[in-house]
Amino acid sequence: MSENQNSKSSVSVVGDKGLALWEVVTVITSCIIAEWTLVPFAAGRGFVTAVPILLALGFMIFSHWYRGENLRVIGFRLDNLAAALRILLLPTFGTVIVILILEWSLGGPEFVVRPLSPKLLLLPFWALLQQYALQGFINRRLQTALGTGFKVTLLVGLLFGLLHLPNPLLTSLTLLGGLMWAAVFQRQPNLLAAGISHSLISLTLALAIPPNLINGLRVGLRYFN
Amino acid sequence: MKKPSISLVHVLIAKSIIETLFVSTLVVVYFLDVFPHFHGLGEVTPPAISGWAVNSRNPGERVEVHLFIDDKFVARTIASESWPEVVAGGWSTDEWHGFTIPVSAMESGYHEARVYAIHSSGRGARKTLQLLGHPFRFQVSQDGTLKALEPSSRQMRPAIPEKSIE
Repeated sequence: MSENQNSKSSVSVVGDKGLALWEVVTVITSCIIAEWTLVPFAAGRGFVTAVPILLALGFMIFSHWYRGENLRVIGFRLDNLAAALRILLLPTFGTVIVILILEWSLGGPEFVVRPLSPKLLLLPFWALLQQYALQGFINRRLQTALGTGFKVTLLVGLLFGLLHLPNPLLTSLTLLGGLMWAAVFQRQPNLLAAGISHSLISLTLALAIPPNLINGLRVGLRYFN
Repeated sequence: MKKPSISLVHVLIAKSIIETLFVSTLVVVYFLDVFPHFHGLGEVTPPAISGWAVNSRNPGERVEVHLFIDDKFVARTIASESWPEVVAGGWSTDEWHGFTIPVSAMESGYHEARVYAIHSSGRGARKTLQLLGHPFRFQVSQDGTLKALEPSSRQMRPAIPEKSIE
């Protein structure tokens, strides 16, 4: 049997939908390993937690190559950037206002802006990376497996929220954010727009909400540190 | 576009295997790092509790020991006194692994003591306590003197490890 036939027979056994779901599971597993399993073992060795993330990233890139998906198909494109931004404008600023109201109700009448940490400079890249994994990979693979529609949107939101456990505020916000970005991505697949929206919301969250409420945006086992 | 020669299923399986091996290796390394084996003992040597402690992975280290009596923390010290039997027993190349913790102001009656070796790892992020030898019981009489209730641990010491002959 030739290599190509071998490859085809593997897919036919699992099925393309099953394979797409398996791909989602493997990426989620890598994130869970990084957040929950490695933290106690890797104290003082931060690079260790990067290993599953790099494995997941490597796998996603391979998967795109295997399936013949280019950057445009994944969502790195400019032609629909304005359209995607237009859809995201209202929900993004709505969320920003909700966060500011939350800060006002928790912190009293004086609005306190937290100092800008140098780490926040990396926020746009981190937000884009998360949106790539969430929309460019997970959302797309779930659409392959389950079709488009609310079911997939809900699943993307739930998975995004799950990855932010046990931080209660962050889990709630990412669940809602995940739903919003997934729904918009299905209409206008643009990762840059989703990344900009994600960065704005995260920045507002980091600057406005008292650190004890969001626990420094920590998730997984690190949340308890 | 040229299709890769390996299937996605193979890559998925390989990734799972790599992750499993990675986490397993990390767990083993973590275990060895956090729980090195400590040789040592604690015993009643009126008017104190004394003993020795050697980290088998780093025999030159001066081990910190904590004394607990009736499950309550009593004192801490560094095992850095002379204890010549450590060298005789082959546990370390130097004898400076002994400790003595004076015990005073104890209520009369029966008590149980435990001596733990303290080990720091993860650049001080983790601390583990490992029991040295066994818990041992002693009696404090009305005048405050200590009396061991069990034979000295020195008599129960494990055999001296055999030296390899090449």
